[in-house]
Amino acid sequence: MAKARAIIKRLKAVKNIRKITRTMELIATARFKKAMDRASEATAYTEKISEIVSDLSQADLEFSHPLLEAPKSEENCILLVLSSNRGLCGGYNASVLRNAQIRIKDARKQDQNLSVEVAGKRGISFLKFQGVELDQVYENFDDSPQFDEVEAIADRLIDLYIQKKLDRVDIAYTRFKSVSRQEAVLETLLPIGDLSENSEDADENKAAIDYEFLPTAQEILEELVPAAFKAKLFKCFLDAAVSEQISRMVAMKGATENADEMITDLSQKYNRARQTQITSELSEIIGGTAALE
Amino acid sequence: MNGYDSPRESGNIAMAAADTSTEKNIGRVTQIIGSTFDVEFPEDKLPEIYNAVIIDTKINDFQIKLTGEVQQHIGGGRVRCVALGSTDGMVRGMDALDTGQSVSVPVGKGTLGRVFNLLGEPIDGRGEVPHEERWPIHRDPPKMKDLSSKTEVFETGIKVIDLLTPFVRGGKAGLFGGAGLGKTVILTELIARIASAHGGYSVFAGVGERTREGNDLWLEMQETKIGQTDRSVIEQTCMVFGQMNEPPGARLRVALSALTMAEWFRDTTGTDTLLFVDNIFRFSQAGSEVSALLGRMPSAVGYQPTLANELGELQERITSTTKGAITSVQAVYVPADDPTDPAPATAFAHLDAFIYLERKIAEKGLYPAIDPLASSSRLLDPQFVGERHFACARRVQQILQRYRELQDIIAILGVDELSEEDKQVVHRARRIERFLSQPFLVAEVFTGKAGKITPLDETIESFEEICDGKWDHLPEAAFMYVGGVKEAEEQAQKMAEEEE
Repeated sequence: MAKARAIIKRLKAVKNIRKITRTMELIATARFKKAMDRASEATAYTEKISEIVSDLSQADLEFSHPLLEAPKSEENCILLVLSSNRGLCGGYNASVLRNAQIRIKDARKQDQNLSVEVAGKRGISFLKFQGVELDQVYENFDDSPQFDEVEAIADRLIDLYIQKKLDRVDIAYTRFKSVSRQEAVLETLLPIGDLSENSEDADENKAAIDYEFLPTAQEILEELVPAAFKAKLFKCFLDAAVSEQISRMVAMKGATENADEMITDLSQKYNRARQTQITSELSEIIGGTAALE
Repeated sequence: MNGYDSPRESGNIAMAAADTSTEKNIGRVTQIIGSTFDVEFPEDKLPEIYNAVIIDTKINDFQIKLTGEVQQHIGGGRVRCVALGSTDGMVRGMDALDTGQSVSVPVGKGTLGRVFNLLGEPIDGRGEVPHEERWPIHRDPPKMKDLSSKTEVFETGIKVIDLLTPFVRGGKAGLFGGAGLGKTVILTELIARIASAHGGYSVFAGVGERTREGNDLWLEMQETKIGQTDRSVIEQTCMVFGQMNEPPGARLRVALSALTMAEWFRDTTGTDTLLFVDNIFRFSQAGSEVSALLGRMPSAVGYQPTLANELGELQERITSTTKGAITSVQAVYVPADDPTDPAPATAFAHLDAFIYLERKIAEKGLYPAIDPLASSSRLLDPQFVGERHFACARRVQQILQRYRELQDIIAILGVDELSEEDKQVVHRARRIERFLSQPFLVAEVFTGKAGKITPLDETIESFEEICDGKWDHLPEAAFMYVGGVKEAEEQAQKMAEEEE
């Protein structure tokens, strides 16, 4: 019977998909652990360095750094988009890219000269499909982004900014808050505004610390501000990597469950179709012999 | 035989036959099984196969008047007949009169506006039917040389039908669907659309469906006006009913009675005639019941072994000739939603346009629930409908096909995992799916939405624009139950205003 055969075919396909999603779920779980460790290690460093910079900038000191200064006009902008190289991670890329598109639209409205840089094949193909021109693409960032690679990007951005060829840098990525909570966000990296992520804590401690600068505050800032920017950028990459693995884990778990449900459903349908077929054949044979008698 | 005229008002063939023939050929009922009975005749005066045999007697104040049709000669001077009415109260030994000819029905313009049973007796309580001729219901199909080879699109104003399964003028269209998917609604809609715009005659055959539906249709046809004129559709229509309450023999022959009347319009007046049949499956079903009663061995799924032959004899007569055309629309019930069932599968082969109603679409609340991928038409070919129409229909089908393929993936992985191209396909397919629905003229009282007649050009343009992505920004709900795509835009605006 045609129906039973069609069901079997679908059942096989669903079973294959389930195999893939189940495997991906396990792989994502393993990778998530590693990425998570790296991210939490980096968090401590980033937080501290941001804290210092923010303390310094809030202290009543006469200093300036080109990265802290907001340019008069926002003409040349860069948007960094951190997406994943691989799919099967649920809405991870979609939500990052949604934010990216908001920024792109915004830039168009304000007549800014926006160049878009994308990490991750998924984002590249999406934006290309949308007809967005990409000025720089990176496919080398996987689940453990290296500091050297990020530093290269950071250095380039800093150079451009100091030379006043660049007025603003935004980043669209997924911020990792906890295992159960990640959030796709759009943040402005340059000019450096509030460096501290948790400003409330900073408020409490602010007054307590009194720094002494050697040799001078200016010289320390020269070192510290770019370092903070790099750390911050690196943190974004790490967050994105963890979030990707978590998204994948959750998405694949859901997919495996969906597939399981479908398999149960299809198996039942198949059994019923098969039984119907047997019943009808039996009754035909019985009917046929009865008619012959 | 064709020119036979009954002097009796009720069309009682038996008495008529008795009056004209010098010698009555009377047999005796020897056996009655359900709705078949055997009659014994003198061995040298056996009635021919398909002859009508009439029993008209009174037993215990109970008047029995029954027509039977000879189906088998079973030897020993006995013939086996199928009753075309109820066999209640019949006893062995009753007299049965051979009429010497098959059942015949009155034909001609006198039949217009009237309702008949399969014996050609009026059942609308309006008295005698004036007629000059009676034609036997068993006739030969038109000869091959007389067949018309014209192929022309028959516009219905229903978007999905005009675009994907265009009807053929003078051709046959089938509406396939399981229980409760709206076959009868589409059929009545087509009557309202076609018959009201159509100048010729229409014949409606109610085969084994609900009597109530037949009554509804009859009343509705009295109210519906033809075009801008003052005349109601019923004045150009004749209806023949053999509904669910009738025994299998009646349901088996009622389609032939209706067809015979339609054939007269075709052959004599030369006009385009419309023939609506609801439901051709009941014809096959009745055949299967009769077959079982006659003791034939059942074939696949319990159907009669002669299924293809029986249906072929009927369908081959529903055809257009050089004299005139019969355009027919037939509803076909699909048992258990299984189109591989022998009855619908056999009917399928005879049709020019094949419309399949899908339960999944009806479940989404999208009517008409026509499956755009399973349905097809012989006419959907660039040589008949033109390149533009063909290309547009193919594009719509491709998008919907891709969407259907992706459905399992979406169910498991979610829409986010699709590539951008596929996401766009899904996006448009969901809009097309909704845009294929359309408010019906006959459903106006239920939905409160006025029926929409969409011209073919507008239909093609609308679908082209949706495929091109011109309307991607409208919400899905805006595409539900509208005519052209402009109306979708208006509906979207209305929705936006309501939200505010």
